[in-house]
Formats: sequence, C-alpha cells, structure tokens
Amino acid sequence: MMDHDFSKPQRQSISGIVIMAVNTLQQIIRALIIPIAIFVIKAQTNLLVYFIVGISILILVTLFFSYLSYRRFTFFLDNIKQEFVINKGIFNRTLLTIQLDKIQQVNINQSLLQKIIGVYSLQIDTPGGDSKEVSIKAIDEKIAYSLKELLLNGQKVSQIDVIEKDISLTSQTPILKLSSSTLFKIGLTTNYGSSLALLVGFIYAIFHNAKELLRAFDSDNGQVEAAIKTEVSILSVSIIIAIFLFILLIINIIRTFVKYFDFEISEHKLSLLISSGLFAKKNTLLSLKKVQITTCSQNYFQKKFNIMNLNLKQTHSGEAQTEKDLTKSNLHILGCSAAEKDELLAIILGKILEKGAVFTPNYRFLNLPIFFNAILPIGIFFIFWFLFQEVKPYYPLSIIYFFVSVLMIYISYKKHRLTVSQDFIIKKSGIWDISHEIIVPHKIQSITTFQYLWHKVADVGHVNLHTAAGVIQFKYGNYTEIKQLVNYWLYQIESGTEEWM
Amino acid sequence: MLMQEFTNEAIEINSLPSYQEVSLNAPHPNYWKVMLINIFIFIFFSTTVLITLIILNEKIKPYGIYLVGGCMIIFAFIFLLYKTSFKKRGYALREKDIIYKSGIIAEKTTIVPLNRIQNVALDEGMFSRIYKLATLQIHTAGDGTGHMHIAGIPIEQARAIKEALLKRLDLLETSAN
Repeated sequence: MMDHDFSKPQRQSISGIVIMAVNTLQQIIRALIIPIAIFVIKAQTNLLVYFIVGISILILVTLFFSYLSYRRFTFFLDNIKQEFVINKGIFNRTLLTIQLDKIQQVNINQSLLQKIIGVYSLQIDTPGGDSKEVSIKAIDEKIAYSLKELLLNGQKVSQIDVIEKDISLTSQTPILKLSSSTLFKIGLTTNYGSSLALLVGFIYAIFHNAKELLRAFDSDNGQVEAAIKTEVSILSVSIIIAIFLFILLIINIIRTFVKYFDFEISEHKLSLLISSGLFAKKNTLLSLKKVQITTCSQNYFQKKFNIMNLNLKQTHSGEAQTEKDLTKSNLHILGCSAAEKDELLAIILGKILEKGAVFTPNYRFLNLPIFFNAILPIGIFFIFWFLFQEVKPYYPLSIIYFFVSVLMIYISYKKHRLTVSQDFIIKKSGIWDISHEIIVPHKIQSITTFQYLWHKVADVGHVNLHTAAGVIQFKYGNYTEIKQLVNYWLYQIESGTEEWM
Repeated sequence: MLMQEFTNEAIEINSLPSYQEVSLNAPHPNYWKVMLINIFIFIFFSTTVLITLIILNEKIKPYGIYLVGGCMIIFAFIFLLYKTSFKKRGYALREKDIIYKSGIIAEKTTIVPLNRIQNVALDEGMFSRIYKLATLQIHTAGDGTGHMHIAGIPIEQARAIKEALLKRLDLLETSAN
C-alpha cells in the first residue's frame, strides 16, 4: 500500500480520458436531446450523413480536449507543508491547494462507466464557502484508498499506524448491514417528499415531451390535453389519487433499493466507513471528530417497524451556503433498529447517552403559531365568506383546517423538549417526524440568549446554541433555568481542553 | 432541584460565575454622536426626496403638510429607537469569554468563549474615525447569527482587545500542535 509515492506531481489513470470525454458528451447530449430527436425524425435521409459526420467530429473534439485536460491535470501531496495540491485547466490554469487539516471528508465513488473501466473517482470535501470541492475523475482502487488514508490522517500519524488502519479497513465486520426487508420498510416509510417531487417532475416531462414529439410531426392538435380530460371524466379522482399514491410508494421503494442496496457501516479507529449502492457503489469515509450535530429521527410508522434514521451533520461555513452544500455535508444512515442506533451513537459520540434533566417550554410557546397559522388564515377566510357567495360551501373545510392546525401546533409544543446531562444536550422536536438533535457541550461555538420585554415578568426566554453545523434552539423556557444552564455550559466549554474539530 | 440531576462532578451550579451579573461596559459616549450623524444623513436625504416630490407633483401638493407631519413623527420615532438601542448596548471581556448585550424589543446576550474565536477584525467607519472609535468583529466557526459586532469602542482599547484575543489564539494553536 505504502509504496505509492504521492509527493511527486502525478496524473490520474490514463482511462480518465474516456471518463472525461463521456461525461462531457453526456452533458452535451442531455442539453440537446430534444433538438436532436426532432432533427432525426424530420430530416431527410441525405441529411443524416451530415448529422453522423457532425456527431463524429463532436466526439473527436471532446476526446482531444479530454486528452489535453488529462495532460494538464496533476496532483501531489506536499508532506512538508501538509498540503494537497492540484494543478489543472487547459486554457485557464488553476492551482488548488488544500490544507490537510481542513479536509472534512473523502469520498471514493464508482459510476457504472467507471465500474466497466475499473477505476474510481475521489472527491475531497472541505468546509468554507470559497474553497472549492475537488475531485479526481479516474484513479486506481489501491491508490485511491491509500491516498484517502493519507489525506484524512494528516501528518501526525506515523506510517505504521496507517498500515495498521488499512488492515483494519479490510478486516472490520460491519456494525450495521441493511437487509432487503429493512430496505423495503425504509422505502415504505421515508423520503416521500423527494419521491413526490421526482414523480411530478417525471409526469411533467412525459407530458412535455409527448407534446414536443407531436409538434415535431406537425400534428399537435391538443390530443394530449384532450386525452387527459377524457381520462379524468372516466376515472373518478379518488382512483387516480390511489394509483398515484401506489406509484409513489413503488418509486420510493425502488429508489431506496438503488441508493441503499448493500448498505454497510464499519468502524475503524476514528472514522466510519459507509458503503452502499446498487449500480454505483458509493464509499464514504467519515472522520468522527468532525461530526458536530447528530440527529436521530423517527415517525409513527417507523416506530412500528422499529427503524430509525440518523443524520450526521458536519462543519460548514456560515457564508455562501447553497442548499446542495448543506445536504452534502450531512450524512444519512437509514434503517437502524433501536439497539443498532445505541451502538452507533456510542461510537459517534464516544459515550453512552445518559439520563438528564428535562426542560419544557412555557405554554406561551403556543400563542404566536396559533395566531399566525390558525386564527389569521381563518379570519381571512371568513372575510371572504362574507363578501363572496362562491366560497360559502367550503366553510366545513375551514373548520377542519382550524382544528388540524391547532392540534399540530399543540403536538409540536408537547414535543419541544431539551434534555441536559453532563456530557450531552439533546433537543427533541417535530410533529410527524420526531427528531432528537444531540450535541456535546464542547462543540458549542457561541451561545445567544434572548428575552422579549413582555416576557420579563413571566420569566420566559430563549436560547440558541451555535455550533459549526447549525443552531440548536430552545424556545420559551424558564429564563432563570436557561441562564443557569448557560453558565454551566460556559464552564464546560471554557474549562475543558477538548477540541471541537 | 432539576440542576442536581446532572452534576456528577463536585460543582455547585449556583457557585459558577454567572454571565448575567457581569457589569457591562457601555459604548463610548462619542458613539452616540456617530449614530446621530448617521440618523441626520438619513433624515436629510429623505426630506430632500420628500420635498422635491411635493413641489414637483401637483396631485400630492395639497397633502404635503400631512406627509411632512407623518415623516416628522417617523423621524422622532427613529431617533428614540436609536437612543434606546444605544442605551441598551454593553460588552464585557471576561477572563475566558466575551459578552455582548443589545436589543430593544428582545434583549439579546451573546457569549463567545475565547477558545472558540476563529478570527478577530477591526472595522473603522468613516464617522467613527473622526471620534477615534472602532467596531470589533468577532467570528466563530458557527453560523453568522452567533458572531459578534461590538461598535463604539475607543480605537486604542479595541486594538488592545484585538491583540489580546489574537495572542490567545496563537497560544491555543501552539499548545494544540
């Protein structure tokens, strides 16, 4: 393993040319798919020759540029400065320098194409808005893993240690392995939101492309819309909804299988190795000390199935955060049983969760949400009810809405809890998905307490615990207790010598 | 009673130093003048816009007096708001953390432990410089809402605090390595 020398500038695997060329072609084709389809359908046969010539030229040009960028892409590990350096770019030369201690996560992935060629891609995640995310497109498996170890372990680890870690990497038995039945349960109970978005997007795409094709044949006379209209009149809406939900569940299950097939977590030294995927195997090595917030969540169905989701949040910088970055620095572990959850938490947090003092919010927690989410909308509805005849028959709906929203707010109030023990702070919240956010006091970066003037007499206040991965909020607590807690946490942070990262 | 459940160590929660009882330093009185200059610039520009609007627009002209009156009330309100905001501010540097309190409707206290500071910056505004004042910006690895901006510290003092904080940062880094 260790015979590979990373200290001299080197190129990626030669097959990287193919990978890069295919990636570029894929992008071009994806962008031009509809014009190409129309061209192929509408063009006369003699023009097809030009079309094929054009495509061939396109492929040649992409290959040529991929070759150039392959030649220009070099990387090396500067052992003295403790930096990983990447040199790249055909016309614009880019020099990327990554300090080893800033590296958060190293991912080794394999797409279908990479699987065929037999190479891996290596991705380096660093925190901070300006530092770019770096990836090497084609690299041999052995080199990838030894580079990953070197990148993650930094300078302080001796070579013997690294070798030892490599052995443990291969010999560790997994802590968690998801069976097909667990995957099935997960598919039934999680991630409805993203599957719904996918399904809606898919239906829209079908509709859109069908019209596009018909237009290509100059025969779009609104058949698609007409077809939909007749379908709606034949089938009752409820059947459509039932079918829709069924498809949604199926898609959800399929997605879960594709994404989490063969999901395995194993521990070695201070990291977790997580691997999963049906077509493309995805390996992630996560350095445990970089986890800032650990969240476990469960909804009603999941509780019945005895499965839980864990979400590990890592450091991210406050500035220039996109939604994608945010979800990227999070790591999901699905489908653990209660026992597996405890075992994982013990590894991640380094200690076993203990019982602690529970703090509950004041009833004033309910006031604002009830006013803005229940009373205000209903008030607006009744103004409409007075003014317009058309909305009158809908008034039962408004009453249902009122009671449901009040009930939901009440549940969120009942679930809003803060548990404090010597080593942990646990914030419970949620309505349907009940989540427990767990942090260790020494990972707190700063604390903010605040109180509205009119809450002074009632002694009610709020506290925000800022960590490098987000804020933990406890609202409408007893302010005297909160102040005491803050003093206690400050004492823990300031007297301790533990590093937060 | 609740507190005793999680104290395994021999620590009496009530004997811990409490952040809420620290006496805070108010911003330098000259900072109020800086705020006044800013308020007057704002008032000057908005009244110029308002007056040109009243003179040029025939339709608005008859209501001009009410508009001016309304604006006067708003200005007085802004003035009062800033005055209370100025009075409510305070900061304190303790041995192991830095505290900043502010806010009119919600009284907000932020505490940053010194060993969690990532970066200290000193910002001198155009008018602040006239009165030799500066804003001390303290950044942590947490999100933006947990950062601290303390305005109206005499420049010499701000520099001294900054140096002290940075020296501590160096100290921490060398001891960690």
